[in-house]
Amino acid sequence: MTINHHPSDETLLRLATGALGAGPALVIRVHLEGCSVCRERLTRFEAVGGTIIDEMRLAPLAADLFGRTMERLESMPSTLVTEPGPRKQPDLGIELPHAMRHCEIGPWRWLGPGFKWSKVKIAGSPHAKVMMLKGKAGLYLPAHGHTGMEFMQILSGSLSDERSQYFPGDLDEADDEVNHRPVVGEKSDCVCLAALEGDTRLHGFLGRLLRPIVGF
Amino acid sequence: MNEGIQKEVLPSPVELIRLLDAVARAQDRKAFAQLFAYFAPRVKGFLIRTGLAESVAEEVTQEVMIAVWRKASYFDPSRAGASTWVFTIARNQRIDRLRRTRSRTADHLLDLSDEPDTPPSGEDIMIMAEREEEVRKALATLSNEQATIVKLSFFSEAPHSEIARELGIPLGTVKSRVRLALNRLRTLLDRDI
Ligand SMILES: [Zn+2]
Repeated sequence: MTINHHPSDETLLRLATGALGAGPALVIRVHLEGCSVCRERLTRFEAVGGTIIDEMRLAPLAADLFGRTMERLESMPSTLVTEPGPRKQPDLGIELPHAMRHCEIGPWRWLGPGFKWSKVKIAGSPHAKVMMLKGKAGLYLPAHGHTGMEFMQILSGSLSDERSQYFPGDLDEADDEVNHRPVVGEKSDCVCLAALEGDTRLHGFLGRLLRPIVGF
Repeated sequence: MNEGIQKEVLPSPVELIRLLDAVARAQDRKAFAQLFAYFAPRVKGFLIRTGLAESVAEEVTQEVMIAVWRKASYFDPSRAGASTWVFTIARNQRIDRLRRTRSRTADHLLDLSDEPDTPPSGEDIMIMAEREEEVRKALATLSNEQATIVKLSFFSEAPHSEIARELGIPLGTVKSRVRLALNRLRTLLDRDI
């Protein structure tokens, strides 16, 4: 699978520094699962963080911090707390990426003719604006713009807009300068995972459609 | 500060990897003490620099070091150096702490998905070490302004306004400066891909 659309350097840097919100971070993690090029790019940004740690001016520690830490370690059970098993998720007709295994995912709901959505909840980040969208083959989605960044990872099918064509594995970042009218490819339905950054709002018909139900 | 005071010999990247390995295999307390001596003051300094209060920074530092102890067996030296790995733990614990204070619905997950499948070969580790060295060199090659831009991105949740303040440039031009700095960094790094 050739991937043609990748997150920008800015976005990967923000993921590396921890500044990317939980919603966009989830979408990018899904992209990374299928993209070794971006995994390598992320590792390099994280290595900048390693350098920063190495060069950091030392902060004085409480004299007993090491002792207290060892005490806490000794009072802990020796086995690792294993992560909770994956959540039970509804069958949405596609295999969900590993990065989404802890998300609470709602069933498909009607959004418009040939157009469905499912709410994705991230534990610990109740306000993240993340959803899966499903459009019927050939569907014209309403034209829309956004006040901030929109991140979209194609999970199946294909999508195109004025700028390009997007296939499974592709990640599209659209900022406030992009006004687009995505069209679902003719061959099959398209499912994608989308996140809006922070207080980003959608303009246009899609915004009016989504806001009352989804809160976007 | 007087240079003579800090004449301790710093552990090399290879030594840090060996210490983590000793903790992972044998729960070696002496090795952990060395890791603690090296990382805890640096991690705390980093956390303070990102804006955490001194006391919170110390608590989170303790959590980071506990995670280092408990997750040492998941450290994969073919993917990242010890300092890079500790950085990602510090970053995650910091986010976790901020989210907990904001929403109080902490759902603390240990991400064990990164568990190495097979022990890395010496060659893998060498490739990783070279990559980290390249990143270090690339940073040193950036202009002061560009290095500042990249580094400030690690310290602030709203790096753009901090970058504007630090460099004395209007907020409106920060975005393009960040892009330029990252392009330059990428050019330096891509030579080696
Ligand atoms: Zn990619």
